[in-house]
Amino acid sequence: MQKKYLIFVVSVFLLNSCKEEMVDFSSNNCKQNPFFIQSMGFIPANSFFSTSEERIMGLVLHQSDEVGNPNARIVKSFQHPSWRLGGWLAPILIDNTGDIYTAPAPFISLLDNPVANQNTIYRVDSKTGIMNVFMKLPLADTNSIQNPFGIIGMALLCETNTLFVSTLAGSDRQHERGAIYAIDIPSKKIIDKLSGIDAMGMGISYVTGKRELFFGTGRTSEVFSVVLNKKGEFSGLAQMVISLSGLGASGDDKVRRIRTDALGNLEIHGISFNYNLIPQREKKETVYHFYYEVESKKWMLK
Amino acid sequence: MLTLFLMMKRRSKILRISFIVISCCEIACQNNQHAENIHASYDADALNSILIAADSLNTFPFLEERVNDIKSALKNPRPVLLCKDSLSDQQLLAQIIALNDSAFTQFLIDPFSKQPYRSEVFGIYPARQSDMTTVKLTYNLASVYRVEMYNYALNISSIALVDLQHQKVLGSYYLSNSQPDIPLYLKKLAIKIAIESPELQLSFGLKPQEKDALMASTKTSLNRTRCERSRHLCVAPTFVKGDKALWAIVDLTDHRLVGIRWTNVGTSGPAGPMITEKRLQDDKITSCYCEVEQALNKYGWNMNYMLTSSDGLRISNVSFNNNEVLRSVKLVDWHVSYSGTDGFGYSDAVGCPYFSQAAVIAWEIPKIIELRDDRKNSIGFVLEQTFRSEGWPTPCNYNYVQRYEFYKDGKFRVSCASIGRGCGNTGTYLPVFRIAFSGNQNNFSEWNQNAWQPWEKERWNSQTPLTSYTAEGYQYKIENTQTGYLMEPGRGQFNDQGRGDFNYVYVTKHTKDRDEGENDLVTIGPCCNIDYRQGPEKFIEPAPENIQNSSLVIWYVAQLRNDDRKGYEYCWAENVLEKGIWNTKSFPCFCGPMFIPLSKPGIKQ
Repeated sequence: MQKKYLIFVVSVFLLNSCKEEMVDFSSNNCKQNPFFIQSMGFIPANSFFSTSEERIMGLVLHQSDEVGNPNARIVKSFQHPSWRLGGWLAPILIDNTGDIYTAPAPFISLLDNPVANQNTIYRVDSKTGIMNVFMKLPLADTNSIQNPFGIIGMALLCETNTLFVSTLAGSDRQHERGAIYAIDIPSKKIIDKLSGIDAMGMGISYVTGKRELFFGTGRTSEVFSVVLNKKGEFSGLAQMVISLSGLGASGDDKVRRIRTDALGNLEIHGISFNYNLIPQREKKETVYHFYYEVESKKWMLK
Repeated sequence: MLTLFLMMKRRSKILRISFIVISCCEIACQNNQHAENIHASYDADALNSILIAADSLNTFPFLEERVNDIKSALKNPRPVLLCKDSLSDQQLLAQIIALNDSAFTQFLIDPFSKQPYRSEVFGIYPARQSDMTTVKLTYNLASVYRVEMYNYALNISSIALVDLQHQKVLGSYYLSNSQPDIPLYLKKLAIKIAIESPELQLSFGLKPQEKDALMASTKTSLNRTRCERSRHLCVAPTFVKGDKALWAIVDLTDHRLVGIRWTNVGTSGPAGPMITEKRLQDDKITSCYCEVEQALNKYGWNMNYMLTSSDGLRISNVSFNNNEVLRSVKLVDWHVSYSGTDGFGYSDAVGCPYFSQAAVIAWEIPKIIELRDDRKNSIGFVLEQTFRSEGWPTPCNYNYVQRYEFYKDGKFRVSCASIGRGCGNTGTYLPVFRIAFSGNQNNFSEWNQNAWQPWEKERWNSQTPLTSYTAEGYQYKIENTQTGYLMEPGRGQFNDQGRGDFNYVYVTKHTKDRDEGENDLVTIGPCCNIDYRQGPEKFIEPAPENIQNSSLVIWYVAQLRNDDRKGYEYCWAENVLEKGIWNTKSFPCFCGPMFIPLSKPGIKQ
């Protein structure tokens, strides 16, 4: 009799824990212009930040002569001296206060990007425009000299002000030691962590009726999703939802970046990636557009 | 590589390197020893895959007709190989009409050299309604044919929609970086190249029949060329045996087998990773040369070698006739600076394709090549490795060669070359070698006009027009009580097109309690210093140590200025149109010192 009761209790608990929370659709777009842009005489609508200049290390602010077109002629540029603090950088994320988050990623060599700094998050203050260390993620127990990468991707859950940061630090060919950290921005505290996965580009969408973080990995051409709860923590296991295998220039693209549009569709940027320092310019990037088909509950390539 | 050989052949008076690759195609790694145990944790299919050397010059008699067809087509005013599949009268007529359309044939000739590209009609099919979306003229779909032509040089597909009823082209367009479905006769040719290749027969266990090739897999592979690196037209016929499938990558531009690899068969046909030229190369190199050392024993020389994460091809524990010579040698960095732009350049590391700090990676496995004199007598061997950027030889892409020469008489040379092309014609390449000698009681001396001048402390020196050499051309000497070597720097005397090294030489003391480059080194110096500050000085300054009777490391940095002037090209490469396709003409700038054993009779000591 006692045994039956226990089974019932456990069953109720499991059923409750598996119950899917349905959330209302949100575009998850809360980016605000950094205040310092205007005070420096830059027109916000024409301005954008870049970390991919081959001859300028760090973060750079550009103003182009065409709204929303980064390929248009650059009319002026600016770099605060502190923006070189982290060496060569990669991800750029702007939050709802206009603060900018970025992280180091080596360009061709490690000369300006020591491995010890590869798990450091930098923040540019929206008001002052000065870059400082925001926080340092724990370094892997085993740092592999073969793997020069640390933080690769960033995403923001506007609802909870949670910063998701993916890192490859510590991984080698045999061991996948990367992680996704969920960081509460106001308190600078790590509130959750998904371990043992070499996540790269990430994006958030509500389109499936769930709050989901999508991410690709450095190991395969697959895109995974993990459900987030209303606190911004991970809820359940990551599931494979999209494969880029056989698509693109080389057929084995890895996810460099994921953007979500106002409708929650995924814009996935794929490149060849093998954990080496072959410069980006030698890799053909393909942009894939996926939409969610409600009937089949599958992501479809446009 | 063949170009390189031909150029060397023209110039060499003393030395010729015969490019007979000794063991590039053996099963497993080059030295087929204890592979199973050491590689137990690695993918055995990758380990046992075979890369066929591009310069193996393997060819088949059955290709003669194909080659003659290409030659004939290139001589025609309209240089196009016609479709050789069995065609109906309507298909033949559609082909003729399409080839008379100027838009469809706009890519037949290179506009600059006026040389023909190799173009071939791959298929003529009845048009589908979906082909007609952009056609505005009226037509009867039943009389419209779709003609597909492939340009091998530009990797472009041209498509024409031909209305037979009105005998005109309704529209045409082209697709860059795209290949149409290959015709049946090319499919058969690909399978024949695969099954006639001894490497495939050896791996498969017997010569497979044409019918054994999985056409479905061949077809699947046509969605995209399997040769994403060479950008050649490649397909992948597959042969199933038991629960495994043998993939063959066949290059239909050069008509050769690129490589083969086994994969497991799934329930619905060949499964596992998609096998391409790049995957085949990267997996083989990683499993065989990046994660384990290979042993090499030849002509009295014994050593281990392996590819590093960022220090090129490293040799270690080198001995000659059982006498220890070198602890290790490696190529730490390539510094590339461009004088036209202040402070612009790169610090390139060369190394492994996966999980490495290399910006320029190994594509081919290390080659062991016989070294021959003018009379073709064997005088030693070469251990050579190339590293390439994906886009080479287009601008801002690089190709580096690392070469060790070992002679039967105990001499050896540590050398390397840049084969361009880089980001401009104002580039200076500075490769940084680390050469660690065996022995703990070594001394180092420099020739100073008429005597050897010992170096007492760690220091550096540069090779200038005022540098003095012995009558034989030696600049330095490293020795202990038992043995020693004289060092002959490059001054353009090695008949490898080198024009002199203009070297910086640094000598540092090795001690076991600190690592000054014994393990993999991260980038040691910046791109663009124009003086001795190339990295090794950080192991000398600010307080140079005494180096007498010590374990010594010699750092050798050459300075190689590139040149793109016609007839004077150096550290350079260019694409040239030959037989309708682009080939690369290489102008390497070799550098590096020769080491001559002191015990050799007749040497002034």
